[in-house]
Amino acid sequence: MIRRLLAIAVCLLALSSVASADEKTKGKLSIWLGYPETLDAFKMGQAEFKKQYPNVDVEILTFELREFEAKLAVSVPAGSGPDILALHDFIFPRYYEAGALDDVPADLAKAINDKAIIDTPFKDIVTREGKPWGVPWWSGRNGLFYNIDHLREAGFNEPPKTYEDVWKYAEKLTQKGPDGQLTRAGISLRLTGPSGGTQKFVYFYYQLTGEQMLEPGSKPGTVRVTIAKNIDAAARALLDHIDHLHGAKKSDDWALKHDAQGFASGAASMFMRESWVIPYVKKNGPNIKFGVVPVPRDKAWGAFNAVEVLSVSKDSKLKQAAWDFIRILQAQPILDNVLASSGWVPLRRDRDYSAILKDEPRFAEMTTPPAGLTLYIEAPNTSYEEMTTRMGEIIQAAFRDASLVGNMDGAKKVMMRVNDTAVKILKDNGIYSD
Amino acid sequence: MTVATDSVSPRASGLSSRREEWRASIRMNHLLWVVCALGPVLALFSIIRVYPILETIRLSFYRYHPTQRTKPFIGFDNYIRLLEDDAFRTALINTLQFCVLAVVITLTLAFTIALLLRSIERASPIYEILLYIPVVTPWVPASVIWKWIFDPQHGILNYWLGFLGIPKLAWLQDEHIILYAIVLVSVWKMLGYFVVVYGVGLRNIPDDLMEAAELDGATPWQRLIYIVIPMMKPIILFTVIIATIIFFNVFAPVYVLTASAQGAPAYDFKVVIGEIYQNAFVFYRMGYAGAQSVVLLLFVLTLVFVQFFFLRDKRGV
Repeated sequence: MIRRLLAIAVCLLALSSVASADEKTKGKLSIWLGYPETLDAFKMGQAEFKKQYPNVDVEILTFELREFEAKLAVSVPAGSGPDILALHDFIFPRYYEAGALDDVPADLAKAINDKAIIDTPFKDIVTREGKPWGVPWWSGRNGLFYNIDHLREAGFNEPPKTYEDVWKYAEKLTQKGPDGQLTRAGISLRLTGPSGGTQKFVYFYYQLTGEQMLEPGSKPGTVRVTIAKNIDAAARALLDHIDHLHGAKKSDDWALKHDAQGFASGAASMFMRESWVIPYVKKNGPNIKFGVVPVPRDKAWGAFNAVEVLSVSKDSKLKQAAWDFIRILQAQPILDNVLASSGWVPLRRDRDYSAILKDEPRFAEMTTPPAGLTLYIEAPNTSYEEMTTRMGEIIQAAFRDASLVGNMDGAKKVMMRVNDTAVKILKDNGIYSD
Repeated sequence: MTVATDSVSPRASGLSSRREEWRASIRMNHLLWVVCALGPVLALFSIIRVYPILETIRLSFYRYHPTQRTKPFIGFDNYIRLLEDDAFRTALINTLQFCVLAVVITLTLAFTIALLLRSIERASPIYEILLYIPVVTPWVPASVIWKWIFDPQHGILNYWLGFLGIPKLAWLQDEHIILYAIVLVSVWKMLGYFVVVYGVGLRNIPDDLMEAAELDGATPWQRLIYIVIPMMKPIILFTVIIATIIFFNVFAPVYVLTASAQGAPAYDFKVVIGEIYQNAFVFYRMGYAGAQSVVLLLFVLTLVFVQFFFLRDKRGV
């Protein structure tokens, strides 16, 4: 009798292990993307993945970034999110703090912790108390884009090298119509969209201070605000913007086309943005001759990095397959595709991008940062979007205030309001650090 | 003396009781029919309308972030925070300004057009259809088209205004003009609906009444003031309330027109629904967004009650 029962138990165990093995290699692997420009790379990965997992269907959906973030916020806690989460660094902490992410397998964790493979700042952004929660995949690294023809017309043979130069160049590159209205911006500043505006304002602030306005706090997940400490430099950065939006030095206007679109259409001579601009301008402004250099220095010399992180949902039924997909995405041809087609800079240092750089040498500014250039990343925290939005609203309202032109005290008051707003939100969310 | 009931035969008594049973069964069946007919609708209404409102009210007392593990009860903290929220205050003022302008302009224009169309009875349906086309056009594509029209450099509106010697205006970029640009789009979008509603109301005014007034020597203005407007009062009340609710809930045109597409920056014009959306789906402060929604609900309800009080036909009560 006992023998018979044991035999039945063994059979059931064998059957269940077959079923569970089957579950791991069968089903639908779901991937959601907020950056559709990397879809091609995922599709290349999908073809390779199918060879390993012929019975797993891969569904890749792309969304507008904000819609993507909202969908994730609602679906992941409910267990109905995608298997692979491609998260931007600033929303990443929400998910590992909520316990929504699977443990990174040992081989990938080892690669993340190897300096020869992943640079330390990118390892740090995915790591909490020594444990990585995702694989840093690519970075959006900033630089100063300049129109070569516009610079030559204005008598400049090389791009600006210092923070001061940027403003001097901007004044000289600006063009006005007979009615006095600007027809070309010397520099296209980020004047709207408060969250992104805060990020772009920091491009200037960092060079003056060597810090971001929001830096990681003493405890993981906390944030300290540096504006009060650097109030003179903060006010100077603000005043330089305001002085170049009104009056004699005016170098940009709200009515002009802005950002990459403005630059690609020749409506702006310079602007600061990330590497994706290279393929964008090549496609949308084929006649624009342009160059890119790291953001010109002042007291400090830094390049901002926005990092895309690949993780697997804790609720995924295909965890093994999902991690294998992420492993496939580290392959050379796929990383080449990411760089060439989207312009985002892959973070694997043990790969060789020379084939792509041969075709497009301007990527070298992004893939191979010059010695002395500090790479900085936003402080990981759960209130990033709210803080940067509310800070940017104050900064961008000040941009419109012509009474602040040349008014250092006024600029300091504005920046202290920005400081206090950030502190209040951080305290409200329990992540404030002195 | 025997009582009357004693004289009722057993047969008649049986008939009466059967009739009572039949009536009771009809009543029962009627109730069943009402429950069957209205039940699904009421259930659906409760699920789609009532439950979300009650849930929103409940959420407004919590710090509710979908991706956070704890969602503590915080009493009236969200409402207290609202009092100090500059962005919400700005949004409320902007929405009020927008609502007043949009309601007044839309309804005045719609009433005037409906009156004019009454004088060309045969051709009026064609004009009503033409005016109704924007109403059936979804907000998003309509707003995208208007975004192009408003483009300061290449937009057709500035091009036309240039013929009148008016310099190029930054319709969506200038903080002082954007309100009027959004009002313009909203009036264009909703005008046709109210023209049709007023048209129906005007057609229901008896011709005899107008003819009698004309015979008595009433001028067109007097006929408008003493006959048309009083008789249209219920319709006007309806349109004012509907327009207030529609325009107070403005979101899509503002979102699309001011969405910070990188090449086409626009002024960050705040409206109440936009703030609620941002708090709920960008900052994930669901509880706080709930408190904002409750305040919006109370605000609109108050406005509607005030309008009822001033515009309702008191003689009819």
